[in-house]
Amino acid sequence: MTILFPSLAKRDSVTNRGHSNSELFTLTYGALVTQLCKDYENDEEVNKQLDKMGYNIGVRLIEDFLARSSVGRCHDFRETADVIAKVAFKMYLGITPSVTNWSPAGDEFSLILESNPLVDFVELPDNHSNLVYSSLLCGVLRGALEMVQMAVDVRFAQDTLRGDNVTEIRMKFIKRIEENLPAGDE
Amino acid sequence: MFHYTVHTSLDVVEEKISGVGKALADQRELYLGLLYPTEDYKVYGYVTNSKVKFVIVVDSSNTSLRDNEIRSMFRKLHNSFTDVMCNPFYNPGDPIQSKAFDSIVSTMMVQAC
Repeated sequence: MTILFPSLAKRDSVTNRGHSNSELFTLTYGALVTQLCKDYENDEEVNKQLDKMGYNIGVRLIEDFLARSSVGRCHDFRETADVIAKVAFKMYLGITPSVTNWSPAGDEFSLILESNPLVDFVELPDNHSNLVYSSLLCGVLRGALEMVQMAVDVRFAQDTLRGDNVTEIRMKFIKRIEENLPAGDE
Repeated sequence: MFHYTVHTSLDVVEEKISGVGKALADQRELYLGLLYPTEDYKVYGYVTNSKVKFVIVVDSSNTSLRDNEIRSMFRKLHNSFTDVMCNPFYNPGDPIQSKAFDSIVSTMMVQAC
């Protein structure tokens, strides 16, 4: 893989965020997804595995996030949404999705991502039309929120890799978790 | 029909890169310039440090394309090729089926005419 590393550091790529390791991160995630595809040979199963891995990351990442961001307890789901979009996504992925499409009950909203560093350079081949490439993110969000006593459902409603104009993550609040269960690995 | 021209030009590329003894790292040396003229076409070459070869075939009647424009075409090709390589679903050596790559190449070809 000698050609991939920055002898081409001056590429005019719109995705160049100036982080020296963002391409390594993107390529690592890509290698992970393609390896899972080879191992499981089934898109739905790969989606599940990515979500599981994401969950395991999320239950740990929340500690790092809370320590580094000094964000206090959120009073309602709207505050949670803002913190996720403006603080968490910015901190870990360098992007700030917008929060929209609130349900009337205020228990469901969308995150619209104009760009997504996980999918830089990625083009899904035709034989993987059911693959939700960034499924890891759903698991991360679900796992992280579970550790702050919120059970949520997270799914991709739109995906630029599958032809949509934007990437939309839909988050739904299910219930507050009362019992303090230890972080279980899935 | 172009395949023959391109295949012949690959031999010229091999000749050029094996002839050079010193280690050349800068952009100028990646560009090989006019490989050889035929009656109908001008063939230009470019080779990366990883021995990936790009060949551009231009109709001889097109006299308006300048050297720096060809260089810039190769640079765009090189960048697009790198994006293709970075697609985790692409296996090196496979024919390139990337839509993004195709559209950049088409745009470039239209601009060159």
